[in-house]
Amino acid sequence: MANSLFEEKLYSGEFLVTTEVGPPKGADISEMVHHIDLLKDKVDAINITDHQSSVMRFPSLGGCLLVKERGGEPILQVTCRDRNRLALQADLLLAYSRGINNVLCLTGDSVDVGDHKEAKPVFDSDSVQLLKIIRTMESGTDIGGNELKGTPKFCIGASVHPEADFIEPQLIKFDKKVAAGAQFFQTQGIFDLRSLRRFMQYASQFDVKILAGIIVLASAGMARYMNNNVPGIIVPQATIDELASAEKDKRLQKGIEIAVGLIKTIKEENLCHGVHIMAVGNERIVPDILEAAQLAGVRH
Amino acid sequence: MIVAEQKSLAEIRQMITPYQRVLILGCGTCMTVCNAGGEREVSFLHNALRLAESRSGNGIHTFSEYTVKRQCDYEFLDSLVDKIGDVDAILSLGCGIGVQAIAERLPDLPVLPGVNTSFMGMAEEWGVWDERCAACGDCILAETGGICPITRCTKGILNGPCAGTKNGKCEANKDMDCAWILIYKRLERLGQLDKMRRYYPLRNFRTIPRPRRVASKASIDVGEGNG
Amino acid sequence: MHSPVSDAHNYRANRTEKYLDHSLMPPCQAACPLHMDVRGYVDLVAQGKIMEALQSIRSGNPFPSICAYVCTHPCEDACRRCQVDKPVAIRALKRFAVEFGGDRMVQAEAETTQQEKVAIVGSGPAGMACAYYLRKLGYPATIFEAHSEMGGMLRVGIPQYRLPRQVLDTEVQRLTQMGVEIRLSTKVVSLDLLFDLGYKAIFITIGAHQSLRMGIEGEESPGVIDGATFLREVNLGLKPSLGERVAVVGGGNVAIDAARTAVRLGTKRVNILYRRGRAEMPADPEEVEQALGEGIEILFLVIPTRIKRGNGRLSVTCVRMELGAPDASSRRRPVPIKDSEFNEEFDTLITAIGQAPQTPGGFDVRMGKGSTIQVDPTTLTTNRVGVFAGGDAVTGPATVTEALAAGRLAASRIDDYLQHRYPVAGKAEREKLVGDLLPETIEMIRKISRLEPPILLPEARVKDFEPVELVYDWETATNEARRCLRCGMGAEILFQDKCATCLTCLKVCPYHVPCLDASGTIQIPAEQCQACGICVAECPAKVIVLRKPYDRRSINEELDHILKSAAESKSKPFIVGFCCQYGLFGIGTLANLWRGAKAGVWIVPVLCVAKVEAEQILRAFEMGAEGVFIAGCGEQCSREDTAFWVRQRVEKVRKVLAQVGFETERLQTFFPSTTNEDLAPELDKFAEQIGRLYLASAIMQEVKS
Repeated sequence: MANSLFEEKLYSGEFLVTTEVGPPKGADISEMVHHIDLLKDKVDAINITDHQSSVMRFPSLGGCLLVKERGGEPILQVTCRDRNRLALQADLLLAYSRGINNVLCLTGDSVDVGDHKEAKPVFDSDSVQLLKIIRTMESGTDIGGNELKGTPKFCIGASVHPEADFIEPQLIKFDKKVAAGAQFFQTQGIFDLRSLRRFMQYASQFDVKILAGIIVLASAGMARYMNNNVPGIIVPQATIDELASAEKDKRLQKGIEIAVGLIKTIKEENLCHGVHIMAVGNERIVPDILEAAQLAGVRH
Repeated sequence: MIVAEQKSLAEIRQMITPYQRVLILGCGTCMTVCNAGGEREVSFLHNALRLAESRSGNGIHTFSEYTVKRQCDYEFLDSLVDKIGDVDAILSLGCGIGVQAIAERLPDLPVLPGVNTSFMGMAEEWGVWDERCAACGDCILAETGGICPITRCTKGILNGPCAGTKNGKCEANKDMDCAWILIYKRLERLGQLDKMRRYYPLRNFRTIPRPRRVASKASIDVGEGNG
Repeated sequence: MHSPVSDAHNYRANRTEKYLDHSLMPPCQAACPLHMDVRGYVDLVAQGKIMEALQSIRSGNPFPSICAYVCTHPCEDACRRCQVDKPVAIRALKRFAVEFGGDRMVQAEAETTQQEKVAIVGSGPAGMACAYYLRKLGYPATIFEAHSEMGGMLRVGIPQYRLPRQVLDTEVQRLTQMGVEIRLSTKVVSLDLLFDLGYKAIFITIGAHQSLRMGIEGEESPGVIDGATFLREVNLGLKPSLGERVAVVGGGNVAIDAARTAVRLGTKRVNILYRRGRAEMPADPEEVEQALGEGIEILFLVIPTRIKRGNGRLSVTCVRMELGAPDASSRRRPVPIKDSEFNEEFDTLITAIGQAPQTPGGFDVRMGKGSTIQVDPTTLTTNRVGVFAGGDAVTGPATVTEALAAGRLAASRIDDYLQHRYPVAGKAEREKLVGDLLPETIEMIRKISRLEPPILLPEARVKDFEPVELVYDWETATNEARRCLRCGMGAEILFQDKCATCLTCLKVCPYHVPCLDASGTIQIPAEQCQACGICVAECPAKVIVLRKPYDRRSINEELDHILKSAAESKSKPFIVGFCCQYGLFGIGTLANLWRGAKAGVWIVPVLCVAKVEAEQILRAFEMGAEGVFIAGCGEQCSREDTAFWVRQRVEKVRKVLAQVGFETERLQTFFPSTTNEDLAPELDKFAEQIGRLYLASAIMQEVKS
């Protein structure tokens, strides 16, 4: 029996669509609620980011609870940056107890890129170890070897970076994540399908589901900024040039076009098992993208 | 080697405010090597403080200078005894260990740190020092090609690079090499990439309950005699 | 619990620095027969301290003006700059120091403190030097000279275009002033007579005036003359008639002198016949070059075998030679080529194939090889009690400097003898610098072309006997002197136990000289160090000093002195400038500033700004300077990276200035990119700026109070 709705879909053979919602900086959650309501029925699951780019925000767990409340399927993003092994396990217990059963295990960005640069970076574990922690908990004990009263069960995923400029060490890490129990992967932003094809040739030997990460760029300036400041993002010059070629008020439109093009090709060529759309602050446009990519329709 | 950086003149002046006669004390070992508190830095700081005094127009401080071979052993500090007769405070340009050794050796005299002890490392070139060891107490360099991920990876992670590495550099600092890329290249060169494929479990932080102590002497009961 | 205070564990950080001269004897000094402090005076010339340079030269050489003209400069052959480019022009620099330092004005004095009279037979350089030093030691000394004029070979052997007579006359004049008794035209034939006259010791220095014979047919013919006689006649004022075409046989300096003298007497065509090739010629290559420039032809690998006189001319049969196996002098022995004879017609043939002493039989001294007088080389004593000998008479023809050294040695040995002392060895010599520069060091040393003193054009010089070589001008001399590598003066680790082995010296040295030995100790090989002083000012433990450590001390002393004077002068605001003294003062760039020295600009002369330490800059500010600047040679510096290190220290000091509320512009560096760039206007601007800053801060003070 599947541990979650999303896990069920994962093995259904359907082309999956996930997206993500960034929580607010502050206690006003109305916009997040709006975004969740907008998207919950149009995608298979919604990620809630965990202090993305090390910028302090409303917590991922809180966001996931909201998704759950509004009737959506949440994926809890968990990074190792801010919590030691006690806090990580505790949060996972809470998540499970509230029906949040999908977890994306991430190492987390360096605090140096965020808005609290003087913070103590925790990194008590890394993403591979986090996957192991979850699998250990599922076996009935905490990682200290103490029996748990009530055993959680999760559908767990991780990230992978097919467009990394030095791919071999990334693939080693991918292997280790698979070995540690990752069931699905959301890739970092994909811009060049050649690298995705190469990666899928490699990844297809494993029994894991790959969701291609699609970043919706709003302008060439945003692309350049992300290249320089957001870890794990490499926007190729060709994409930047394409964005820059558009008229000023049509740049977001251009970004949407690019994203839609990528999604369509991925789906047509059946390159991987689904897409993960990252609109980075433009969550409102995700339905349009789905529409244009002919992925619209109630998914529950 | 321990690497430190001299505190700003402003901070040092702030610290010495309550003390009239200050002995600037250098350290002839690590602090000399890292240019933070050797004999030259002692006299430079001495000159700088005197200049600051003369500029402020109402200076009350007087300074003396001295450098010991090492501040981090009581024996070296014994020679201080006849230097501190008319001193109100010692401004130590030793590392944090030196400052504390002085505090322990001279219980009645205030001691002030003139440097910020930064890390253990080595000189990359003249005037540039890089951290190399975090003194984690559980060395895994044999597994990582002699390159320490705990120190040189900004996240100190054990199972390979994060996705933030770009051009072989770290996401936290584009001038800093990604330790895991270095480790991969070195293990590849050594034909030991299997070491990187291995899973490394959570670190055992129990090896460093602070403060730590290392004993290289065996515990032998005094009663056992010398036979 | 702790051990009691024990001296053994004490680490004395504030030991007073030992200002000892640990410098090693440089090769130039070691090569000089007089062991002159060449490095010392060249350095003084580089600083423009010409009078001090002359003083240094005079302390080691009784007749520097003579050496300035005729020294064969073995120092230059030994100069380690040969390995980099060309040797420092030491002799020409000495000439500059002698001429510009006012040697002519120097008065020689001596007082008689001893009873014993000493006779000196011969007035050549050895005799003159011996007389000079004997007078300095207080002995009455008498020179007996067979010729009508003083100077021996200096007078009768060396042509006037190489050594002007007034130079020699001045030195003779000084000897007279010192009380040396001179008996001219007095040939000594018996030493017993001198002892009978009351002389207690005799120094024989009769030179080597007898020309060697070629031993060929027709050598006695009229029109054949020996070189020594020819030169003597000309030098004593005769004008022998030589005819149109003259041959000189030989390849030494006498042959060249004779040929060039013949040219100056109006001979149309002068040939030198030499039995070996140019490379084997013992004559000074510069002289050979000049002779060729004056139109003298040298026929190499040619030897005359027969001379026939007829029709008032000489028909000389010559044979061509080729070089065979090396002989005893390790030069290849010339061998006649069969059937290569040819005839040439000459009006005069001058033989100059060597000279030997001619010692009167009445001296009754034991003779050695080549009719030289046999002496103990360390005491110069002959087989006769109280009789000493030296110079060419003992060595055969040699150099002026060697003769001067022999005269000096004789004086001190005669003193030992008369005082009934065992001859004591000269005071322990400093350790000699041995070893060549390594290729890696040479690669890093800046190449600087040697600057030659100007010489007269051939057309002008063949007309008369005026000196061929002119004197440097001030700027050329200081620039040439800056080429000195200051061998043996380099850095050393004075307090090895305080060295933290931090490797700073190893990293900052532009020449990569410091190294770690097998035991992990830093070594600074003396033979490689270029004495730039960068490591001295950078060493975090302050344990490195220069082997001749006057630099730091002089900066501190000058700074103290100037700060005191500036404070006393009460002219506000005052500015302190650390200015390189190499070249800059000499070439006049800063001389303008000196002259201008607007009220309140005080200059600390330094021997290269790389030696100015950050602490010294701070001190200038502390003692009230409103502005400080450092002016150095920049790209013109003879050492590497000096400006870079000055800028490093300046930045470090500026950080402090900013923190104590001083504008960082109060500290400036000035490095001209060319020698001609005039710094004075820039410095004026700086002074004005400091004036404004001072005024502003004074107003602020007023407002506050």
